[in-house]
Amino acid sequence: MARGSVPVWLSIVAMARQEKAPVGVRHAVLACALACGAGAALSVSSVCGLPEPLFATDARSEEVDELQATLGQGPCIEALTGSAPVLAGDLADARVAARWPALAPAALARGVAAIFAMPVSSGAARVGALCLYRERAGSLSADELGALLLYADAVLMLALDSRGGLTPGAAQLVGRGFTVRRAEVHQAAGMISVQLGISVTDALATLRARAYAEARPISEIAADVVARRLSFTTAGPAPAHDGKPSGKDR
Amino acid sequence: MSPQARDTWEVFVRLADTLVADFDVIDFLDTLTQASVDLLGVTATGILLADHTGTLSLVAASTQQARVVELSQLQNAEGPGLDAYRTRAPVQCPDLAAARDLWPRFAPAVLAAGFGAMHALPMRLREQAIGAMSLFSAEPRTLDAETARLGQALADVATIGILHERAFRRHEVVTQQLQNALNSRIVIEQAKGVLAERLQLPVENAFTVLRAYARDHNLKLADVAAAVTRGELHHDLAGG
Repeated sequence: MARGSVPVWLSIVAMARQEKAPVGVRHAVLACALACGAGAALSVSSVCGLPEPLFATDARSEEVDELQATLGQGPCIEALTGSAPVLAGDLADARVAARWPALAPAALARGVAAIFAMPVSSGAARVGALCLYRERAGSLSADELGALLLYADAVLMLALDSRGGLTPGAAQLVGRGFTVRRAEVHQAAGMISVQLGISVTDALATLRARAYAEARPISEIAADVVARRLSFTTAGPAPAHDGKPSGKDR
Repeated sequence: MSPQARDTWEVFVRLADTLVADFDVIDFLDTLTQASVDLLGVTATGILLADHTGTLSLVAASTQQARVVELSQLQNAEGPGLDAYRTRAPVQCPDLAAARDLWPRFAPAVLAAGFGAMHALPMRLREQAIGAMSLFSAEPRTLDAETARLGQALADVATIGILHERAFRRHEVVTQQLQNALNSRIVIEQAKGVLAERLQLPVENAFTVLRAYARDHNLKLADVAAAVTRGELHHDLAGG
């Protein structure tokens, strides 16, 4: 597991402990805000394509997040469909303002001088966008940008786990890291999406849930799926050769 | 123009076309791995790219064997590619059979894949590296100075192709471009899975189907892959 991600997970776990609550997406957003010295908000992609604000750390972030949804423009909107961070360090800059002519003045009027939006996604598996809102103009430092990327990864994991009906304990979270980059995991997600007739996002969540249920690394389950030793049917995951469902939980 | 010069010229034109027209980063890297094979006289090539955690991922490989070997480097956390990335210097291994001490887990895997020599070149960006390009040869061999220089030039072309600019000032833009490239590869892997299941093909054949469709219809590989993950196009793709 990548070294850099450990402090990120620990900060998220610490946030959850402070609330005496199981670790959830909100704690990742709160921890991210703290690490980057900004307000933060998470929007999720909805079926109709408009973002749904899910959680914000403060009223002002919530307001500017919703403003983007209302105006249909802004870094958050672009991050919802893009694959890279959308970084606007100075909303008063003429070129930045030209890109979002309705949003820039409205955000500035509410005391937000910079917006940094990060897709919460992995390929076609999309959850939404994580946005930072800052009072002072200026780019994110290399460390802050790095942190934003890691927190977005964490939000993705937590959101997928939540979809899969999981609430992993803190110890399990720190150990289960950012393995979603493995090619086979994504191939398996593609295959499962067809097998179950679900989105790639839900397929990835299903894969994670199965890995958790069997206490096996996700890469192993993925390898089984790709090698067609394991297939997912609506009756439950099954060894592909005899077709008998072996899962009890679906 | 001599036949050799013409071949070289054609390879560069093909590479330039991918770089210039309606840029698709994975298609470009895919073309570059093949161009490198043609220009350097090696058997296969692979490209590893680092993400924001410094973890390397495979983004392109010219053959399935090269793919297997690159993935083996990643899984075993050792190999010339990783060393070239970390040290930002070329790593030559002219005889893999003699390298078992250096890479006890990786060396057997490369040899089993049918390669006798391997050379890795860092993909450099000022004081950092963003990844590494691996060159595989079937027989043990040393890369002569000319070939090594051309290889490094191709690795530099790969870097520029991904980042679109040689003299980067802003780490933000580098991050954005790398995120784009890595993410594009993920969409393709997901699309391969979808297609493999729909068409009941091995996953590796699915990439060939995707790429052929994109080229035949003058579409970006990334767009075709995205459409496939949304459940579109599979009838057209089945038609071939």
